[in-house]
Amino acid sequence: MLTRRAAGKLIAGAAASTTLVGAGFRPAFAADKVIKIGITLPLTGADAEGANRIKYGALLSIQQANDSGAVKGYTLVPVVLNNATTTAGQYDPAQAATNARKLVSDPDVMAAIGPEMSGDGKAMSAIYSEANFATITPASTNPDITSPKFASEYRPNGGKAVYFRTVTTDALQGPYMANYYADVLKVKSVYILDDSGAYGVGIADTFEARAKEKGIKVLGRDRLDPTEADYTVSLTKIKGMNPDGLYYGGVQGAGTKLVKQAYGVLPQAMPKGGGDGLYAPEMLTAVGFPAAEGWYCTIAAPHLTDNPAVQPFVKLYESTWHTQPDDYAITAYDAGLVITAALASLVDAGKPITRANVREAIQTSHTNTLQGPVAFDENGDIVNKVISVFQIVENKGASLTDMNAQFKYIGTAPTS
Amino acid sequence: MASETSITTSAAETVPWRAALARHRTKALILLVAVVALAFPAVNGNAGDIDAVANALAFAALALGLNIVVGFAGLLDLGYAAFFAIGAYTYGILASWQLTPAWSSFWAPFAWLDLVQKVTQGNAAVVHFTLSFWIALPLSAAIAAFFGILFGAPTLRLRGDYLAIVTLGFGEIVPIVVRNWSSLTNGAAGLNGVAPPQLFGQSFGVEIVPYYYVAIGIVALLIFVSGRLRDSRIGRAWMALRDDAVAASTAGVDLTRYKLLAFAMGAAFAGMTGTFYIAKLQTATPDMFMFPVSVMILVMIVLGGLGSVWGVVVGAIFLQLLQSWFLPAISSWLHIVGNLIGSPWLQQIQLADAIELIFGIVLVLMMLYRRDGLIPAHRKQGALSFEQQNAQVGESHGFRMSGIVREDSSSVPALEIKGVTVRFGGLVALKSVDITVPAGGVVAVIGPNGSGKSTLFNVITGLTSAESGSIRLFGEEIIGLGPHKIAKKGIARTFQNLRLFTNLTVMDNVLIGQHARLSTGPLGAVLRLPGVRAEERRARERVMEIIGNFGNRLAPRANQNVAALSYANRRRVEISRALASDPRILLLDEPTAGMNPAETFELAQQIKDLHKLGLTVIVIEHKLDVVVRLADTVVVLDHGEKIAEGRPDEVRRNEEVLRAYLGRNAQAGSAGIAA
Amino acid sequence: MSPTALFVQQVINGLSLGGMYALLALGFTLIYGILELINFAHFSVFLWGSFIGMWTLEAFGLNGQSVVLTGLPLIGVLVAAFVASMLFCGILGVVIERYSLRPLRNVTGPMAMITTIGVSYILFNVILLGAGADTKNFPNPLPELRFHILGATLDLRVILIWIVSGALMLGLWFFVQRSRLGKAMRATAQDPDAARMMGVDVDRVILIAFFAGSALAGAAGLIFGLYYNFTSYIIGYTAGLRAFTAAVLGGIGNVPGAMLGGLIIGLIESLGGQFIAVKWTDVIIFSILVLVLVFRPTGLLGTLAPSKS
Repeated sequence: MLTRRAAGKLIAGAAASTTLVGAGFRPAFAADKVIKIGITLPLTGADAEGANRIKYGALLSIQQANDSGAVKGYTLVPVVLNNATTTAGQYDPAQAATNARKLVSDPDVMAAIGPEMSGDGKAMSAIYSEANFATITPASTNPDITSPKFASEYRPNGGKAVYFRTVTTDALQGPYMANYYADVLKVKSVYILDDSGAYGVGIADTFEARAKEKGIKVLGRDRLDPTEADYTVSLTKIKGMNPDGLYYGGVQGAGTKLVKQAYGVLPQAMPKGGGDGLYAPEMLTAVGFPAAEGWYCTIAAPHLTDNPAVQPFVKLYESTWHTQPDDYAITAYDAGLVITAALASLVDAGKPITRANVREAIQTSHTNTLQGPVAFDENGDIVNKVISVFQIVENKGASLTDMNAQFKYIGTAPTS
Repeated sequence: MASETSITTSAAETVPWRAALARHRTKALILLVAVVALAFPAVNGNAGDIDAVANALAFAALALGLNIVVGFAGLLDLGYAAFFAIGAYTYGILASWQLTPAWSSFWAPFAWLDLVQKVTQGNAAVVHFTLSFWIALPLSAAIAAFFGILFGAPTLRLRGDYLAIVTLGFGEIVPIVVRNWSSLTNGAAGLNGVAPPQLFGQSFGVEIVPYYYVAIGIVALLIFVSGRLRDSRIGRAWMALRDDAVAASTAGVDLTRYKLLAFAMGAAFAGMTGTFYIAKLQTATPDMFMFPVSVMILVMIVLGGLGSVWGVVVGAIFLQLLQSWFLPAISSWLHIVGNLIGSPWLQQIQLADAIELIFGIVLVLMMLYRRDGLIPAHRKQGALSFEQQNAQVGESHGFRMSGIVREDSSSVPALEIKGVTVRFGGLVALKSVDITVPAGGVVAVIGPNGSGKSTLFNVITGLTSAESGSIRLFGEEIIGLGPHKIAKKGIARTFQNLRLFTNLTVMDNVLIGQHARLSTGPLGAVLRLPGVRAEERRARERVMEIIGNFGNRLAPRANQNVAALSYANRRRVEISRALASDPRILLLDEPTAGMNPAETFELAQQIKDLHKLGLTVIVIEHKLDVVVRLADTVVVLDHGEKIAEGRPDEVRRNEEVLRAYLGRNAQAGSAGIAA
Repeated sequence: MSPTALFVQQVINGLSLGGMYALLALGFTLIYGILELINFAHFSVFLWGSFIGMWTLEAFGLNGQSVVLTGLPLIGVLVAAFVASMLFCGILGVVIERYSLRPLRNVTGPMAMITTIGVSYILFNVILLGAGADTKNFPNPLPELRFHILGATLDLRVILIWIVSGALMLGLWFFVQRSRLGKAMRATAQDPDAARMMGVDVDRVILIAFFAGSALAGAAGLIFGLYYNFTSYIIGYTAGLRAFTAAVLGGIGNVPGAMLGGLIIGLIESLGGQFIAVKWTDVIIFSILVLVLVFRPTGLLGTLAPSKS
């Protein structure tokens, strides 16, 4: 019989015991000193799949750093926190803020990888800023968080960047693709779709604005619901308007269904494309050919296909986690590389490992990653402004699920 | 159920010192909880933990709000997160740079009040909204309450699950509108730079402790308000409407007003909480307010105990902390254990991944085995003593009830029914019925089953509408009035099938009868000024006076749940409830049904006493000895028509009546009907 | 595309959507009619139906659209898949009723509905944790056949939906209206106590209703997979909400009402999307729902006013 008193005791007891854990009860077996790296992602609910891929990329880089002894005298320990709650059924900014505070309260945590969602980032950034604590996000693309316009909100502590990105913001990917549509694909009229998420809406908005500037007629703009199965209504409507091209801002949740269903409705010859949300193995495994044939997508990785380190990474990722990496898994891995390099540089220079030093080291870092050289500007944005354009072209000689083979590198997107 | 802080002065307390100890124990427990809550940040300095508890407190506030709508008033709201969103975005929009309309003199008074600022952007002067957090709290509550009424209004005539579906619809619509209306809300990307609260010139910033205390304050306030409402006339009205809306309306509860009040109150709680939540987060996205959130709050209140104020608080805090604290912590422990024993599976396990599965299992098990919740709203009552259990039939001093107005000298008939016709589809239930009930008289309405007797009562009390005709109460036309208005004018009734409020005590059931005679409103209920307390005390004394007339049958059981009473006692409670409304006319629908001859005799005598005191009575009865004993006039209905009217002995011999009751061939047995 | 063709195409789209919603709404309304219970678990049973169908087809060696069958093998494979999905889901429904709902049958309040919410969480999380969150490619052995009407395209799969849904709906309707068991169900729906007194085994009738309703959900899940060529753990959510709305719109507890409601919702979705915008579809649908319920509380065809208040 659970009386009020018993319920109170239950809660008090649980609170007391978890306080113990929070207070730093550590396993005593580690010989090295420990540096903790936070990983904050929405690991359950609607965003679970993409988030777990990112987590695997981050964990892989930490694991490799430990195996290779990159940071001398230290073991890197990941602290994985879930930004999603059952209450929200997906990412939850309130939980993200709690996680940020948790990391900041733990003196062993020096930096973090994440978050994935910009909504979470908006809740976390100021908390990190107060503590001079750096986080590198592999997937949050809303420009406002690093924009100087909102510096007093998102980095109140002296305006120093804490929200670093190994992914480029919507401010670039959308417009550059609009340039590509206008200049290379010679598209005169376009219909734009988004997937109602913050990323999709953001990138579709910036694409739309630039497309208009370039003289492309935007025939219409609509929204897909990622939990809905059927997009034939939208596709029929688009077919009726007969645009030259189609642009989709969003991730593969709605993207795969869209691509699959567009196949029967829209002309095969019509240029169709999206952002880095479409650079995902689902385009091959869930969509496949002939539906996926011809779709364009972009990523902010100029040398990804040339980089000899990529293939071994993909193989290792697959063998460790039994799934394929997507673009954000790669940027997450790269974020881990940046942090590892920053820590190593501090150790080599004999500087103490503090959050402020780690932040500074990340700010001034130049790291070779799978994406190529990564450095950050004073806002925390990635300096590399090159957007690469890929097209899915069936390569019958290679395995169906080999992303490297089936996503053909076309070139860089025009910057204006 | 009388609460721990109610003002019961009932004679039902068996052992006085035990009751006092119970009250003190409750107070001590509350004090302990308060101390723990206030000291918590000092004991556990971890900002993450404090934040987790602050979020849990926000959900406790939401649970309290939904508890009013679902737990108290019984209105199943599946779209509650909509009000949370409205409160959140109200503050978010009015305390950030989201809206910057051009400056004009219209804004000057607002600037003077510090609600906006004039700012220069580029070459233009624009308005920057700087609504203070402290003003936003009540403002959001008010705006959300407005939407509560707006969304609740379409549901007023809907039953049960349909109401749930409509509220679910609104719950879906609000986040979609927020997402699509990006000029107002910044759409899916979420608000930027919502201003944190300021106190004495200091901004809260991202420091968690001040938010924590604000949360404690809000939850404490809402617990206080909930408790006060629950133990007042308002709470009783809500629970009556939840348990039996029809009976509540005939007892004088204005259903429309109280349903809307419940929606408004619940929405106000959510609106206020939304403002707090977003002020702490300094951002908001539409994804935070979708259907799963509404579902979760509902789960919290059911888990905690529907209708139980502390129960829902515990349920909400428990479920929130389970997600944000306990399960991740248990995962960490398992990792440590895994490291120690070298099990890779344990090292990697993330219980948080399975949290939704665990939730589902917890939910199903709770519903199957403990559906009253962690802290049920109704607690077990103590056993009665031997003497109390044995009915002492009243020494017949006659029925005592003060305050009945003698109207039997009035020339205006108490009730004049003329030409009333009631139709249900193709069936004519009453056909042009004329009945006159003299002031202070007793009229018995008899007739075979299906003759329209209950329909007659329903049309008099406003539950059924008449197609044509007129009904005058002491000269005043009452056709077309709602049941609660008719009750207020002085008609009280009982029901053939007994309609009590099964989750309430005897005292509360009878007190509902007093509803239309009391005047405490929501504000008065919360403040509980001396005038309100006096009114409650008088009302309870009145109730004890009325039920005291039934000897010790009801009085020792005043604080017991009516469901535990015997059938005959429940009938008496219903009659008491009718009497509690100070009626001028009492309509009794088969009051002695289910009673044995002794009880029947006793009740008939009591009705006679009431009549002697001056009350006008109309009674539907099948037991002809009762009819003969009580009635001045007997009206006989058959197939919706009046076929006879007159003194009991006249009617008894009337051939039409005999035919109606016994069929064509049984006239010979007429003499035998005499009691 | 000419305006007429566009319009006709959207009508076709709407009717296919509607067919799907109607099928899902049918099982839901059948259960509601008997128990007056909003069964959230219904849409997770639908999810399971599609996964069972997928696994059955994969067991035949079918993968994606790599293998296309015709004639007897096609029919054989489809029948096997339908039987597997419907049987599994029917049994799942029976288990749910027997062990989690029957104990609550006489409890008033939202308890039973909340139990179905819990069951729903369990069902779809088992799939999520077991099969993963990614979208699965659903095997589709149907040949690609297109017909053209007034400039619009009609796919073989659309016709399949209509035929199968229509057949199931008719079958159900005849069963409920004409068979003895159906009469027992209708009696139980109106007054369980009276039915019991007339010799109806109410427990058994309810179990059968659950079996039938859940089997329909299973069939709907399989058809979903065949039609859209994908499935994932989340398909129950929006399809469920729309089907639920369809059932209420048509008159909850009313079998032809569920069909009508489904078709109307489908058409609103397609024509609303075409002439207004897809992003307002849900708002339009729910606004219509609210309006219908306010002015006609029993739904379009419903006569059953819920007795619970």
